[in-house]
Formats: sequence, structure tokens, C-alpha cells
Amino acid sequence: MQTGFAGLTVRVSPAICFALCVLLTLSAHAQQSPSTPMTADEVNRQLLQRVIDLEAKVKQLEEKQTGPAVIPLAAAATPVAPAPVVPALETPEVEPPTVNEVAPRLKLVVFGDVGAQGYTHVPDTFEFGSLDLFMRARLSEKVSVLGEVLFTAESDNSISADVERLLLIYRQSDYFTASIGRMHTWVGYYNTAFNKGEFLETTTDRPFMYAFDDEGGVLPMQDVGVNVTGKIPSGKLGLNYVIEAGNGRDWYPSDEPAQNNQDRNNSKAINGGLFMRPDRFSGLQLGFSIRHDNLTVPGPAVGETIVTAHAVFVNSTWEILNEAAFVRHSEATGELAETSAFYTQFSRRFRAYRPYFRYQYFNAPSDDPVYINASSNTDVPLNITSFVGRFNGPSVGLRWDFTEHSALKLQYDRFSLRGLDSENGLTSQVAFTF
Amino acid sequence: MKNFKSFTPVLCGLAMLALFLGATPSARAGEAIVVVVNSANPVENLTLGDLKKLFLGDKGRWDTGKAVAPVMVVAGAPERAAFLKIVCGMSDADMGKYFMQAAFTGKSVTPPKDVGSAAAVKSNVAASPGAIGFVKASDFPGGTGIKAVKIDGVDAGDAGYKIKM
Repeated sequence: MQTGFAGLTVRVSPAICFALCVLLTLSAHAQQSPSTPMTADEVNRQLLQRVIDLEAKVKQLEEKQTGPAVIPLAAAATPVAPAPVVPALETPEVEPPTVNEVAPRLKLVVFGDVGAQGYTHVPDTFEFGSLDLFMRARLSEKVSVLGEVLFTAESDNSISADVERLLLIYRQSDYFTASIGRMHTWVGYYNTAFNKGEFLETTTDRPFMYAFDDEGGVLPMQDVGVNVTGKIPSGKLGLNYVIEAGNGRDWYPSDEPAQNNQDRNNSKAINGGLFMRPDRFSGLQLGFSIRHDNLTVPGPAVGETIVTAHAVFVNSTWEILNEAAFVRHSEATGELAETSAFYTQFSRRFRAYRPYFRYQYFNAPSDDPVYINASSNTDVPLNITSFVGRFNGPSVGLRWDFTEHSALKLQYDRFSLRGLDSENGLTSQVAFTF
Repeated sequence: MKNFKSFTPVLCGLAMLALFLGATPSARAGEAIVVVVNSANPVENLTLGDLKKLFLGDKGRWDTGKAVAPVMVVAGAPERAAFLKIVCGMSDADMGKYFMQAAFTGKSVTPPKDVGSAAAVKSNVAASPGAIGFVKASDFPGGTGIKAVKIDGVDAGDAGYKIKM
């Protein structure tokens, strides 16, 4: 055999070449990256030493162990020799993986998003979305604390900090978990499933009906109060309950919507919900909620009742979300204002890509005694100064998870607005977590 | 023809390489994955649905009141990928996102503890009365303080067992 390289020709016999290949293969496999070649004697000596070390460790462990019981191994592939049982510890090891552990108890996850958008009647712009610091700490086996601090860009281009959530959570069992503090209300599915982290959402924004109250939304998405939730013994039906009591929402235009420090009235907002996750249809969730509050607004007091219902199916491939809400505002004079809203959203994952479609509808009467106080909404085109009116339209988009912890989203919206020109918008967003 | 002959030793070498790599110990397709619990745990049988709830934090306590403490071998192990796919319908990345979202929504759930080897899974399960884990059937012998549980009434060694690689 002749082989040449840069003019140099060397004759190598086939047998030698073959032997070299085998030798290279074996040596490369036996040792991933040996720094220096070792003789067989050296290898044997090292292996022998490791066996001796391991025997010593086994002996040490055996000396520490007590209890001669032999455990039956129902599904053993081969018979198992009798051996002492390791004594069970009373405290189960339930520590999560050490991901973003900034202290022995504290776990930190950061979410962020930036992007650009252009709408028909709004100047095209790059935008800082949000920076979300999410903290979680387990104080004991049953008590944990959750905190979330959010930095967002305001309509005047300033960046403000907001304590989005602060909750002390006590989990007695699967049937009873209580939490107290500032929370996201269990009004509908979306508000508790996605909260603020845009990375977790498929779309670039929340459905119109679930816009946050401090961003001009109409439903009470945040509250200060208590929440009790848990399972209801129901076998394969998978029933769960939620009960909430809180200060409710402030509708005075210049005030913070969440009544963090002082409620305007003695009446507390009460919310109750039921949902089911049947074992037979993994990923399916059906539920509803009913909330009532007496609102103190400029003018006569208004009673507010909010009913929501949802049917969602979510697994690692499909995401099908359907939700509807009905809001009734009743004045002491007997006058009623009723608002209805729904959205439906479909998406399917194709490896790292997830195309999606959403259609949403919202319709509030122009004489609603509460929504006329709504501030401008930063989630929608700026020429909409309040939610009063009809708003509906489709959105289509594509989410691309280009790494495990970051996603690029492109979304096209077309909105029809009562009394206004239609809006077409294109939004891009890079959402990430670290 | 002469050129072909000159490549014969190289081809032989490559063939040897392929044979050698193929003969190395690796995950055996179809090998059962044995679900193990602490020997003090009275549970003898679980459904696939139960397993999913236990590993995803939907069921936080055993009937005895002990906290459920799932344990898994670290990401990359073939039995982990197979278990997650069959039981949870998820990939590793899906599960990471699931627990991130669960924590973010305020659920008091703890992700499974990751350990480095099947031996570590067994020792962790043996050391904790509420622990549950899984190992390949070939890694199961030698475990002390642990026991295997049936899945949907079927032993890991029997026909019809659903959790296999």
C-alpha cells in the first residue's frame, strides 16, 4: 500500500494498517483521553488499588448499617442476596435541584423580554418589555414564600418597579393549601397559569380580557388577601376548589388598582372556583369561577359580579385554550351594565417551532359606570384609551424556542374596534429566562 | 481495483470500530424500568396516572401521610428519557418548563431530586420513607431498603409491563 502526503510517499503493508486501526480503536475506547500511555501492569495496578479502596468503603458502610431484614424484590430480574436494610430517615429528602440557588433556601428565576412592534396608527418602536425577578423559598416542609418583583416600561418611557406578588404559602396536604399576601386572582385560567413571565406564554401578550389592571385591563387580576385551594376527593374526576377573599380593585382613576394598604370599603371581594382535571383525559382542564365585590367608584357604589368559564387542553405538543367571561355591574338604582368577552387559542409544537392562532372578543357598553374610569391600556394600540366599546380580531404567530431558555415570537394582529379604524400590527418579542 | 484494495485495511478498521462500539454496554432496547419505593412504604401497585401525579407534584403525600420525594437519575440517562416520555408524556426540557411554570404559578411543588447514578437512586429511596424512583431492571438487583412496585397490576418482569426503554 502506498500513501502520500505533501510529496512524501511511504509504503505501509495492509496488515500493519489494519492492526493500527484496531489498536487505535481499542485504545481510544478504553481510555477517553489518557494523558500518557500506560502499560498493562500499570493499568492492572491501578484497577487493583481501586478495588481495594472500594472494598474498604463497603466495609465501612456495612459497619454502620443495622437490621438484618431482607426486602422482597417483586420484580427483580435476578435473585438478590440477603443484605441489611438501610434505616429509613424520618425527614424525607425533598430539596429541589440546586438551580439558581442564591442562598441555601432561596431560589431565583429571572424572566425578561424585549422586542419591537409596529401598528397602523402608532409609530414603530423597539420596546423594553419587562424584567421579572421571581423568588421562591421553602421555609419548612409545609411553609414556603413566593416573591416577584417586576420592572416594566411605563407609557412615559420611565421604568418602574412593582412588587407583583408576595405570598406566604402553607400547604397542609393536597387538599388544603392556604396563602396570604398580594396575589394574582383565580379569575379564569390564564391569569394563574401564566402570570407575568412572557417566556412561559406562547403568544407575545396576554389575551385582551386578561390584561393586567395596572396596564388598563378591566378584570381584577391582582388582589391583596387570602387564597385557599386544594383537591376535592373525587377519584378520577380530579376536582379542585379555590376560594379567595381580598380587598378588591380600586377604580379611582388616579389610584393604584390593587388596594395594597387600605381598602376603600369594608366589603371584601369574594371569589370561588371549581375545576376538574379528569384522569381519563390527561391535559384537559374544565372550570369556572364566580366573584363578587362592591366597588367604590366616583359616583354611586356599584356591585360587580364576574363569572368565568374555561376549557383548556395542554400537553407538551398541543395547547388549546378557550375562556369566556361575563361581567355585570349593578347600581343601586337597578341599572345594569353587562360585558362579555372570550378568546380561543390554538397552537401545536413542531420540534422547536410552535405556530399559533388566537381570536378574541370583548364588548363593554359605552355607559358602563365602572369602565369609563379605565386608564389607557399599554398592551394594545395607544389610540384605545379605555376598554369601553367592542374589540375583536384574530392574531397569528410563530414561536421559535431557539434555546431551551429563550424564544423568539413573531405575531400579526388585526383588531376591529367599534367607532375606530381597524388596527393591523406586527410584534416581535424575544423572551428568555435565566 | 487497485485503489479499492488500498482502502481494504481502512474499511476493515472502520468495521472493527463499528463492531466494538456496538458491543459496548448501553441501554438495552425493551429493557423494563423498575419503579422502586422505600421498603417501609405499604404501596404495592401504582397506575401510570398515579406515577405521573407523583413525579409531577400533583400528589404530594402518600396515603400514610409521608411527603412524596421523587428521585431520578440525571438527565441524559436513557431510562430517564424513556420514563418521562411514557409516564409524563414529556421530554426533559418539557419537565423543566413544567416545574418552572408550576413554581411561578404559586404551586407548592418540588421537582424530582436528580442523582448521579442508579445506585444513588436506590440509596436515596432506601434512605427516605416517602421516596420513589426508577431504575433499569438490570440495575435493580442489589438494592436494599427498597422494593419494586407493580404498575397497573403488572410486575416489571412480566409481559404487558408498560414502562420499557
